[in-house]
Amino acid sequence: MTTNNESRPSVTSALSLAGLCAGFDDPVQQSQQVFRRALTALSEPGTLQTVPVSDAPERINIASYQLCLALLDAETPLWIAPPLRTDALVSALRFHCGCRIVDQPEQAEFALTSPDFDDDLSQFAQGSHEYPDRSTTLIVQVESLDATANWTLSGPGIDGMRKVGIAGLDARWPAMLSDNRRRFPCGVDLLFTAGTGLMGLPRTTRVEI
Amino acid sequence: MYVAVKGGEKAIDQAHSWLDETRRGDTSLPELSVAQIREQMGLAVDRVMTEGSLYDPELAALALKQASGDVIEAIFLLRAYRTTLPRFLASCPVETNKMAIRRRISAAYKDLPGGQVLGPTYDYTHRLLDFTLLANGERPTTPPADETVGDCPRVLDFLNSEGLIERESVETEEPSDLTRQPLDYPANRDLRLQALARGDEGFLLALAYSTQRGYGRNHPFAGEIRQGEVAVEIAPEELGFPVIAGDIRVTECDMINQFSGTETEAPRFTRGYGLAFGNSERKALAMALVDRALRARELGEDVVSPAQDEEFVLAHCDNLDSSGFVSHLKLPHYVDFQSELVLLRRLRKEFEERKSGGQGPHAEPTAEPGLSDEPNENTQQLREANQA
Amino acid sequence: MTTASLNQHTDTRADNTGYNFAYLDEQTKRMIRRCLLKAVAVPGYQVPFGGREMPLPYGWGTGGMQVTATVIGSDDALKVIDQGADDTTNAVSIRRFFARTAGVVTTESTSEASVIQTRHRIPETPLSSGQILVYQVPIPEPLRFIEPRETETRKMHALQEYGVMHVKLYEDIARFGHIATTYAYPVKVNGHYVMDPSPIPKFDNPKMHGSPALQLFGAGREKRIYAIPPFTRVESLDFEDHPFEIQGWDQTCEFCGSDHSFLDEVVTDDEGGRIFICSDTDYCNQRLNTGASKEAV
Repeated sequence: MTTNNESRPSVTSALSLAGLCAGFDDPVQQSQQVFRRALTALSEPGTLQTVPVSDAPERINIASYQLCLALLDAETPLWIAPPLRTDALVSALRFHCGCRIVDQPEQAEFALTSPDFDDDLSQFAQGSHEYPDRSTTLIVQVESLDATANWTLSGPGIDGMRKVGIAGLDARWPAMLSDNRRRFPCGVDLLFTAGTGLMGLPRTTRVEI
Repeated sequence: MYVAVKGGEKAIDQAHSWLDETRRGDTSLPELSVAQIREQMGLAVDRVMTEGSLYDPELAALALKQASGDVIEAIFLLRAYRTTLPRFLASCPVETNKMAIRRRISAAYKDLPGGQVLGPTYDYTHRLLDFTLLANGERPTTPPADETVGDCPRVLDFLNSEGLIERESVETEEPSDLTRQPLDYPANRDLRLQALARGDEGFLLALAYSTQRGYGRNHPFAGEIRQGEVAVEIAPEELGFPVIAGDIRVTECDMINQFSGTETEAPRFTRGYGLAFGNSERKALAMALVDRALRARELGEDVVSPAQDEEFVLAHCDNLDSSGFVSHLKLPHYVDFQSELVLLRRLRKEFEERKSGGQGPHAEPTAEPGLSDEPNENTQQLREANQA
Repeated sequence: MTTASLNQHTDTRADNTGYNFAYLDEQTKRMIRRCLLKAVAVPGYQVPFGGREMPLPYGWGTGGMQVTATVIGSDDALKVIDQGADDTTNAVSIRRFFARTAGVVTTESTSEASVIQTRHRIPETPLSSGQILVYQVPIPEPLRFIEPRETETRKMHALQEYGVMHVKLYEDIARFGHIATTYAYPVKVNGHYVMDPSPIPKFDNPKMHGSPALQLFGAGREKRIYAIPPFTRVESLDFEDHPFEIQGWDQTCEFCGSDHSFLDEVVTDDEGGRIFICSDTDYCNQRLNTGASKEAV
């Protein structure tokens, strides 16, 4: 039933397959399942979604890795924060997704990063008022997503308000997020990950401490 | 008791089997084979391939068979198949200069290097029904003398060497692909040409005709029409050089159009371009005329006619878009119709009341059967929510 | 018809071999999925997407089908309605398509469905958290009938230049004493984008507001996707002196006696005889099953 499901360009010649981190066993079903969690995460900000346990390259959260496998391909330029940009990750993503790794954050449709990057969220593509969809989606690896709930979220996708505790974000974050929301309809959208956990924070969400 | 449109499942099944029977026609007559359609209905096959955006004479013939000869239905079948195919590689641009020529004519010169090669054409046939075909089957045919067509330099290159015609700029950027990205305006010429190549022949023909009649006139001459086989080359990354994947038959049209020049530019000819699969000359000509008309903005001409209006042409040239949306009127719309009925009855009632000398248009309706447009509970809740 | 009988249905005209799960190839699904994520992040904004040809004609639900094909998984239960009914021909055809290409469970029950694809109605049964409602959209641009050019309407959205829409609605009031738009009635989403809710009757507009379900909109021919996340503000455009109103009926449903659902008028003879019945067939059946009837009212 799935005879022509995958046909990505092969880049094997440039890569060593030895030690390559495995991708999905069943790309069709697993991609759909991870996507649905990402969709729920961004449409109901602050809810904790979890993906099944799997392999992931060193330093990369399972949820981050599965999001990449599910969403990236040759059409999505990816920026990876330097501390995460290991050979293991780059070869795995090149092999399984065939995606282009870019050097400039503003060229990226997706960015994989930890919360301590230089500069701020405005270094990523923000989209324009005519095309607000042309902005970067960030996958941000944090320490935990179920810490003491100290943030109050409100906005679309939230019935009243929702309390969350995202651990590992430095002091710049509340202001960065509120600037991001002010840029609406432009702005980036964020998917926080910790282990197999996943939480979304689109540009529409108001964050109060 | 009357029950509205029930039993959709059964109805669909029965419609389908009746359709199969109708398509087959009289079973005492032999069935058409796909190979017969491919060989003997070649021009229909070519149109289906062109607008179906898939070069495969066999599948196009199958689509025609399955669609009872309805060309747009056949194009639809081919496109719906094509869209699920994985893409391996983009081919290199085809070199039509190196075409193995079957037909090549120029209306701009009496004679020219390579000659006028008429090829198989209906152009000079007398359109008299040939009752021999009806009565006795095929006439015996004499194979054409085996003349190999020599080197055919491009007509537009003659003009080019004199600087009489604009030079075609060589695009280095990847061409856009409207089957992967939605059309975005303003569209570049690569995207426009792609849309026109897939566009409905009838629609483009009418637009092309309108430019000749003065709606966006641009004084065309058929500089060169050539038809024949070209090689499709691919250059896989791991090989590093191009290899031939196969040959396809195409029809190409270079149109020469006038341009009066500007303060900074000398007068010169401009170009319109058409390319289609197979023997699709009408399509290639129409495409070239519309391509040139759509370059109005770029050439500083006033955009005043439909054929020059990019959004109008590109948004409406695809016959899958248009036939789908027009035919969707056959789907039930009774919920929306009911909504309109409710409003219309109310408006008529108020009109009658006003006429009989009473209230103004903002009168609250009284209890007429079936009709009222009062805010109900839902609305109240919404308003409260909105105010909150 | 029950879920079981639908699943037993076998179609003899074609088999599904040769096509991917839910028809679309994975590359296409990824593209649409990325667009859907942007659509929920910018509620009401129409995200352009590389829409594909589907094996159904444009205008018959290809946008909704592409969205459904992209979100649906093997553990979903799918319901498809057209005009509120599960048994209309187009609903049957689309439901069969997914039963065949994705092998998913199909249902006619609103509350049992996890994904509902609809044309022209929102079910009467309130939707719940976790459900996804996929709308088929013919013309996604609410400003299209005021300004036919995409380049212009895109600017108008960017600048939130929605005055013309109010002018149009007000012209109706001046002329008819009412806003004369009865379906595809424009809404404002989360206080920003003016959005076309697809040709649902304005009766259904209030159901969009604050819905716990995720609402996704797909326009195949026009190649646009948009979304309303759960619990999002959706206001129908109106005026202080002419507040938004919805249709109502003095009649009740001939079958279940409902006095609060959208009623279709069915002509019963050629002498003006007519009855009114629920447009939402599942809702009507649920009421009948719990003993409701016209006589009971």
